[in-house]
Order: sequence, then C-alpha cells, then structure tokens
Amino acid sequence: MSAKTEASEALEAEGSIVEDTATAKNQEVPANAVNVAPKKKEPPPESPASIRLRQYVIASFWAIIILVGLPIWWRTTAIYRAKLPLDQMMDWADGRACRPVFPLRISIEADALQDHEAQHLLRTTQHALDDLNEFSAHHLRLQLSQPANASVETTGLSAGAGDEEVALTIRLLPGTTTQADLQAYSPILDIQYTPNQVPSSSSSASSLANYIANTLRGLFAEEQAMIAYLLSTSSAPPERSPKALSPDVAESLARWTTRSLKYSRTYHLTFSLFTPAATPSSWDIEAALEEYMKPLLASFSEISNFTIDTQVQLYATPGVSGNVLKKEDLSGFINAAEWPLSPSIGGAPTVNFILYVGDMEVEGGGKSWLIPQWGGVVIQSDISDLRPAMLIFSNQLMSLLGAPEAGSLPLRLMTLVRVRSAGLLLKASGTMGSLARLTLALPSISIPRSVAEGVYTTIEHLRKACDGLGGKEGLENARIAEEAAEKAFFEKSMVGQVYFPDEHKVAVYLPLLGPVGVPLVMGIVKEFKAWRKRRRESR
Amino acid sequence: MRQLQSLLFILGFFFSGQTTASDYHEQLLLRPLHPSLLLASFNFQSNTTWASFEQQNFRYFPRSLGQILQHANTRELHLRFSLGRWDAESWGARPWGGAREGGTGVELWAWVEAETDEEADGRWLTLTNALSGLFCASLNFIDSTRTTRPVMSFQPSGGHNDSTLENLHLLHGTLPREVVCTENLTPFLKLLPCKGKAGISSLLDGHKLFDASWQSMSIDVRPICAEGETECQLQITQTIDMVLDLQRSKRPRDNPIPRPVANEELKCDTSKPYNSHDTCFPLDTAAQEEGWSLSQIFGHSLKGSCPLATDGADPVCINVPHARHVFTSAGAHEHKDPNGYLRCFELSPDGEFDLTLPDQDITEKAPLEQPLLYAERSFIGYGQESGGVQAILTNPSPTESVDFVYMESLPWFMKLYLHTLKAKINGKDKPVIQEMYYRPALDRKRGTQLEVRILIPANSTVVLTYDFEKAILRYTEYPPDANRGFDIAPAVITIGNVSIRTTSLLLPLPTPDFSMPYNVIILTSTVMALSFGFVFNLLVRRFVAVDEADQWDLRAVRLKIAAAGKRILGRFGSGKGKVENIKKVQ
Repeated sequence: MSAKTEASEALEAEGSIVEDTATAKNQEVPANAVNVAPKKKEPPPESPASIRLRQYVIASFWAIIILVGLPIWWRTTAIYRAKLPLDQMMDWADGRACRPVFPLRISIEADALQDHEAQHLLRTTQHALDDLNEFSAHHLRLQLSQPANASVETTGLSAGAGDEEVALTIRLLPGTTTQADLQAYSPILDIQYTPNQVPSSSSSASSLANYIANTLRGLFAEEQAMIAYLLSTSSAPPERSPKALSPDVAESLARWTTRSLKYSRTYHLTFSLFTPAATPSSWDIEAALEEYMKPLLASFSEISNFTIDTQVQLYATPGVSGNVLKKEDLSGFINAAEWPLSPSIGGAPTVNFILYVGDMEVEGGGKSWLIPQWGGVVIQSDISDLRPAMLIFSNQLMSLLGAPEAGSLPLRLMTLVRVRSAGLLLKASGTMGSLARLTLALPSISIPRSVAEGVYTTIEHLRKACDGLGGKEGLENARIAEEAAEKAFFEKSMVGQVYFPDEHKVAVYLPLLGPVGVPLVMGIVKEFKAWRKRRRESR
Repeated sequence: MRQLQSLLFILGFFFSGQTTASDYHEQLLLRPLHPSLLLASFNFQSNTTWASFEQQNFRYFPRSLGQILQHANTRELHLRFSLGRWDAESWGARPWGGAREGGTGVELWAWVEAETDEEADGRWLTLTNALSGLFCASLNFIDSTRTTRPVMSFQPSGGHNDSTLENLHLLHGTLPREVVCTENLTPFLKLLPCKGKAGISSLLDGHKLFDASWQSMSIDVRPICAEGETECQLQITQTIDMVLDLQRSKRPRDNPIPRPVANEELKCDTSKPYNSHDTCFPLDTAAQEEGWSLSQIFGHSLKGSCPLATDGADPVCINVPHARHVFTSAGAHEHKDPNGYLRCFELSPDGEFDLTLPDQDITEKAPLEQPLLYAERSFIGYGQESGGVQAILTNPSPTESVDFVYMESLPWFMKLYLHTLKAKINGKDKPVIQEMYYRPALDRKRGTQLEVRILIPANSTVVLTYDFEKAILRYTEYPPDANRGFDIAPAVITIGNVSIRTTSLLLPLPTPDFSMPYNVIILTSTVMALSFGFVFNLLVRRFVAVDEADQWDLRAVRLKIAAAGKRILGRFGSGKGKVENIKKVQ
C-alpha cells in the first residue's frame, strides 16, 4: 500500500511541474488562457518485441516464485506428520474392533452322581443360567471337572477348554439340606443337596439346577454390574451395553470408579503415624506389617507388586480442629501444607495410610475413612495394638485397588483382574479415539514417529488383550496398551507446534514479502490491464 | 587459646562420638562477634540403622530424603544453601571449620554408587531433579556444564565398606546464581523431627534467617560404621549458621524503619568542651557490651526442648566470658564450663525459654579463633574480550606452613589459559605449586576444572593469577537479565578437614542488543526489497519522456473517490453483491 501512495505522490509532483510550465505559458499568452490545458504528448508506440520481452520478464519472475520459492518455503516449513492408522483407531474407540467377552469357566465336581446324571444336571443348569443372563459379554460356562471330562468333550459344551483357567469349582455334595458354602481362601463353592433334588433324566428342569444357577448369578452379579458399568461409560455402541442399570447400583458403581486408583504394575504404600504432640514417637509397624499386610500383598502378587515405607511424624496438627469431625471436615483433615506426604519418586502411584493418634471421632460414629484415589485415615488413641488399624487399612487397600466388595478373596482378586483388564482396554481404546480426533482437529501439530510407533504398539497389544480377556496375560497386554496409548497421547513435541501459529510466521516474513510482493503484483496487474486495453483497441 | 580452637568442632565431635547412645541430638551455640553481631549455630543430628533405612522404615530420618537417596543410589550427600560473606578479618575462623558451609548460592556434592560414569551421571541427574523438587531450589539446573568430579578436594567422610568404595563416584555441582530464601527453609524444617514446633528449631524464622549478614544451611548424610560393630548407621546432620546484626534484629517487626536515637537517650561525652543540650559527641561504646535477648533477636522465645533429644546434651550454649551476666527464664539450669568461656543451659521440656544478656561494661571478650588462611579472589583486567582472576591467599600463622588444595570450577564460556597461571609468593616467583589437576572445558558440554595444591610457608602471601578469554554466547543462551553478568562459583580451598570458600564473582560478558534479530530481519528485508524493486522496475518499466508520461489528474481522482463514496452510501443496504463493483470503480 505504502509503495502505491508513494508512487502517486511522485506522479502528483510531476503533474504539478507540468502545470507550472503551463501557467508560465498562460502568463505569456493571457488571451488564450481558457483554452490552454496541459496537453499530454503520446509516447511512441511500443514495439511488440519489447511488450513480449516485458511479459517474459514478469512471467519468469512469477515462475521462479511459484516453481522454486513456494516449494522451498513449503518444504522448509512443513511439519512432520507421521501416518496414523486413523480408521483402526476410531474402530477401537467405537468398540467395533473388539467385542469384550468374558467367558468364565465353572467346573462342576460331582463325584457322588452318576455320569449321565451329572451330564443332565450340567445341561439343565447351563440352560437356567442362559435364561437368567441378559448380558452377553459376561458369560458363565459350565463344565464337568477333570475325572468326567472325557465324556463332556463329546457334548461340545466345553470343547478345547482344558487349558483355560477355571474360575470357580463347584463341589456337589450330598447332604440333608440345600445350602451353598463359598470357601474363603480358594475358589471353591460347596453345594449340598438332598438326594431327591437330583434331576431325573427325563425332566427338563430341576430345583437343584435352578438353585445352582441362582447362586452363581448372585456370586457374579457385582462383577457383571461392574463390567456393564464400564461398557456403558465408554463410547462403545449402545446395543453392546446391557440394559440400563438401576440408579442405586449405578451410583455405587460411579463411587467405585472415583474411589479406585489407576491400575499400575507397582504400587507404593506409605504408612504414616501422625501424632499431635511429641509422643508416641515410635510404633511397632514392622511386625504389624509382617503379620497383617504382607499376606494380603502376597496374594495380590499376580496383579500388582507393592513397595512399602513407613514414617513417624510428630507435632502434626490436622487441618481441622475439634473432637468431633463433621463429614465435610474429613476432606480438610489432611494438612497437605505441613504433613510430608509427598508421593514416592519411583513412578509407582503412592497409596497413603495414615494412623492419627487422637481421640477424635467422626460425626455419627466411626474413626476411619477412605480418601478416594489417595489412601485411608484411621484415628486411634492407643497404638500399642496395631491390629485394628491394620485390618482397616487392608480393607481400604482392597477398595482403593478396585476390588469388589462381596465374595471370597480369590474370587474378588479374579474379578479384579477381569474388571481391570476391561477398564484398561476401554481406556486405551478411548485414548486412541481421542488421539485420532486430535490429529484430525489440529492439522498444525506435528506427529513424530514415536507417536505412530506408540499407536501401533497399542493396537497390537489391544488385539492381544482382547483375545485373552479375563486372564492374566490379557491384563498385562491391556496395561502395556494403556501405557503406550497414554505415552503417545501426551507426547511433548506435539504440543510445541500449537504455540507457533501462522500469524507469527507472517509477522516475521512481512518486512520481506510486503516490499517485494507489491511491485510483483502491481507489475502483473498493470500488464494485464495493458493487455486488455490492447485487445479492446485491436478489436 | 588452643583448647578453644574450633569450639564447635569439639562440641560436634563430642556428640558424634556419642551418637550410638541416642538417635537424635540438637544444639544451639551462640557466639557474640564484634561489633554487635551474634553468630547462632544450630545443629540437628539424627541416626537411623542401615537396616531400617533399607526397609524404608523411617523414624527420625526424613522419609522424603531417604527415598531420594535410595532411588538415586546415593551413599553420601552434602547440600549447602548459603548467602552473604563471612568476614574472616573481624569474625575469625568459620564455624565448624568451614565444613558445614558452601559457596554463595547452592552447592551439592554426593558420592553416587554406580558401575560406570554414564550410570553415575544418570543417577546424579535423578538426584538433582528430585532434590530440586524437595527443596524448591533450581537444583535441576546443575547440568553437565556445572558438574565436576573433583579429584583432590573432597574425600568421603563416611564409613563406606571397601566394596562400595570402589564403585563410588564423586560429583560436585554449584549454582552460584541461586538466591536462597524462605522457600528453601520450609522444606529444611520439615525434615526435622520436631519441625520447628519445639526445641531450638522453634527459633528459626525465615524473616530473621534471611535478614542475616551471613547465613548457611547444610544437610549432610553419611554412613557411619563404628569399629567392631557389624551394623552400620546412616547419619543426617542439618545445620544452620547465621550472623545476625544485633541492632538490626532488635528492630520491632511492626515498625522496622530505623529512626535516630531520641536526644535524652544519647550517651554523650560530657568532657568535650562543646557538649551542650544540642551538641553531643557520642561516647566510645567499645567497652560496652550491647544487651540482647533471644526473644528480641529471633522474634519469639524458645518453645521448650525437643523431647526426642534424649542424649543429655544441653540444647542451648553460649560462648561468653563468665563475667558476663546471663539471665534465663525459670526452669532452666546453667552448666558452666570451668576452664573456658562456654556455658550451657538445660531446658524444661515445656514452658518457654528465654535468654537475656543486659547492657554491661565489660572489657573481657571470648577469644576468637584465628583462621588458618585468608583468601580473597577478584577479577583483574579490562575489556569485553578477556580478563584475569587474582586470588590472594595469606597464611597468618607466624610459625606453621599451610598445605592446601585450591579448586576452581569455571563455566565453559570463561576460557582459561593455563599457561598464564602464575603463583607469586610475597611478590617473588617461586615454585609453590605442588601438584595440579586440570580438566579443560568443552564448549556447551562441561566447564573447566582446576585443582592446585599449594604450600604456603609461615607468614606469607601467595598471589595466584591466570588469564581467561570471554566466549560469545548464542542469542538464546543469555539469561533474561543478561546485563547483570554471570555468576562464577566460589573457589574451594581445602586444608585437611577445614575448608574455606571465596566469594562468588560476577563476570560481565559482551551482551548483544536483544532486539537485533528483528532489526536484522527488517534491515535485510529492506535492502533486499530495494534492490529487487530497482532491478524489477528496470526490467519491466518503459522509459518515456516526462511530457509523455501518464499524468495523475488529482481532481479526477478526487471526483472519482467522491462518486464512489456516494455510491457506497447509497447501496450500503442493498446487498453484498455490489461491493465487487464498487471495488472495481475504486
């Protein structure tokens, strides 16, 4: 623009000179003043050769700019964007790539029954179970236990299942009453039945089969609800998720998800003793951990490992005062500014367990509470016996890790494996979807090769996890997938480009592009006008 | 005189010998310095057995630091935060023999266990990053250019077993630019078992500590293995030393602006002939000891003793002549050292403790210990291109010579010319350099490391000089306040167990004009555009005589613009389609 005004000013100056000469003439011949106007002298007509030469010059300038300048600029400012399998990523995110199915094998041990009786019982129970189940992703499959296996294989119910893990063994024992008894430390359900309950081979239903089916359903109801909830909160297609959960179940499951920590291969547990004064300054934590905590942690060893540290902190005042703690005070009880509860530095998530020495009580009774995704607090005035506190801590740890509340320990752990695998699988899939959407939404961010590698690793492990869902390998694969997905999504070098916008580049180039561009553009415009004029005249 | 030498040292060794008896020890030593200054040395020491450290059962040892040490495989750690300058001429030898202080800013050295140098570097990086988070200091800026591996200056002080000793790597880093402040004190206090709530640590307050003329905070972690005992222990020693100006500290916090003494409170020399109600010559107060009390100096009194310190040591000691009046609050017992200048106080576990020393005319002073060496270092030379450093090292002892190691770690942009390194003794060239270790700098990778062992005969002065060249940094390598200059870490002088640090130096480097890149872009663009336009117009324009040129009819243009304006106004509401036409008309 400025070049244009300068040019016009220059022309104006020339014009005024011409006018001056004209006025000088006017003074000489005042009589002719009205008729005399500055008359323009036409330049000699331009030869076609020079016109062509000029056109060539302009064309060659533009050719250099377009053929050399623009490609160089394009190449040097281009952002590297690795190719991502966007379709596959969206498939995973929308649940099209994997249909999470949890086939649970349940073995029936019925030594007291005849072979055909057992077969019949198995079939009728399976029917009863299938009738009860509305959720296809979670499926219980019965089989007869090993001694009777040879004949079972022919039925096709459990073909090729010999190497798969058995989730639960049902032992059918003849007795006087009908009752189910879940063993506390092994995945065995003892069911006693009365002899008259054994179904005859002709009847299609039996009370024993119904009883077994109902008991099993009761046992796995919580797990089913958990997986159903996970599926319903993910972006899986709605027809995949089961019919809506009842509001109170959904609410308790929502609490369960907010409470439980993110899954990790290793957790770090910190046990802290906080006292408001100088005493007590020591506790017998080593023995207590050895006795009450280590056995529990050992049983977790296939899911997660744990490292432990303990500390004693004196003169620790809580964030709230008063002897009766109100519910709303509990969140402020931890004095985050003063209490040294920094997370461990190894990268494993830290779970804090705090034993506070004092007489306080939570409003409405109780002396302990759980802080979601962080840890637990127990208030105890006498710390000579650490057993009650340790038992509470164990319970808190179970719920922080996301284990279901009912059932025996082995069953809860196995459920935890399945639920965690499903959760990680869905989370990694969701991250893939987010990454795909981000890639499409922000064309200016770079996508380094490491992100593409992360995406391929994720998809590979997601596929493996999906095939082996429910087992320990599935969990491991899902964990690797989730880790790779998060790493790819939070790649640092992707973000940097967002803060280098195009306006910035233009601002830097403008001092060059402006003064160079204006003569170029003006040249082409002028030439175009002249060409049009010539054409009109020639017509 | 000899027995008083390094009073703190004696105290320190006395208690460190007793460490197995108790796990926690704390002590405050007060020492008035001339003129009207007070040196307060806080010492906190706790032990943990190696077994419970390995199992991460922390009682007195801070968990946060313990985890870091384990994670970074650090066997011995020394961390220093310092501020100000110790005036050796009038204050005498340094507390703890200089062993518990660092150069201005932050200094860190550690023995890291690792198989290879690369592994050690990795662990050092972990260590600095973790400590940076723990102490809210920029320790993460100790990168390879600020890290050295001293050869002669530092020796491991702990009892390491021979197998670990082979794999230990000493790494040393300094941050002379770091400003030590309250945010470093708060995490420091959190590491103490009594946390500033009871015991001598209750006196510590950021307002007073960082208002001191000189202050130094230190953390030392070292393993100790007693002879004949199978189980080793890990000891953490935290100290804070500060030199407070009594008059400055006594100013009330709500009214801190110093005001002139009221006329009636002035002590005038009435023997002067001109002395009158409005003329006063102040009396010489050298013989007058200024009165002070703990609560005046530190803002509040001491809140009882820390009940964890059960080693029987008196928590508060003061080093004044026995003739000086010292009053304490009730409940405290005084123990006087019969043949010295030391008295200690046993405190009651609860109840406040205050120590008051009134104004007193007393000529007797507790003797000051003479330092082994006076050291000062300064820049010489001029210009933006090169410069020099001169270190003046004086041995004040009339009888004994001093053998010491002088260590410099210089940044890479200060390029040392080793051939210019000269040591003159009492103005004469004599060979005083016994041994030298030199590791030259690599640009942007590592700094210069220079260790020189020098022997100074009695009553002599050695002047060490060397020249250097200033490198020109890249545009992005300058800090935001580039014109302030670059801090050069203090030199470390090691004489056996005693160490002395010089002050840090401020090196001005040639600083560019930081708007330069934009100026360059604009200037180059203008030149390029000018030449381009010139060439382009030469090629494209047709040259005609003046009277043949197109003339710019100003009136016609004006008329055209007016018409266009009218048309715009007229058609403004009638749709966007016509805007194109208007543009063409223009």
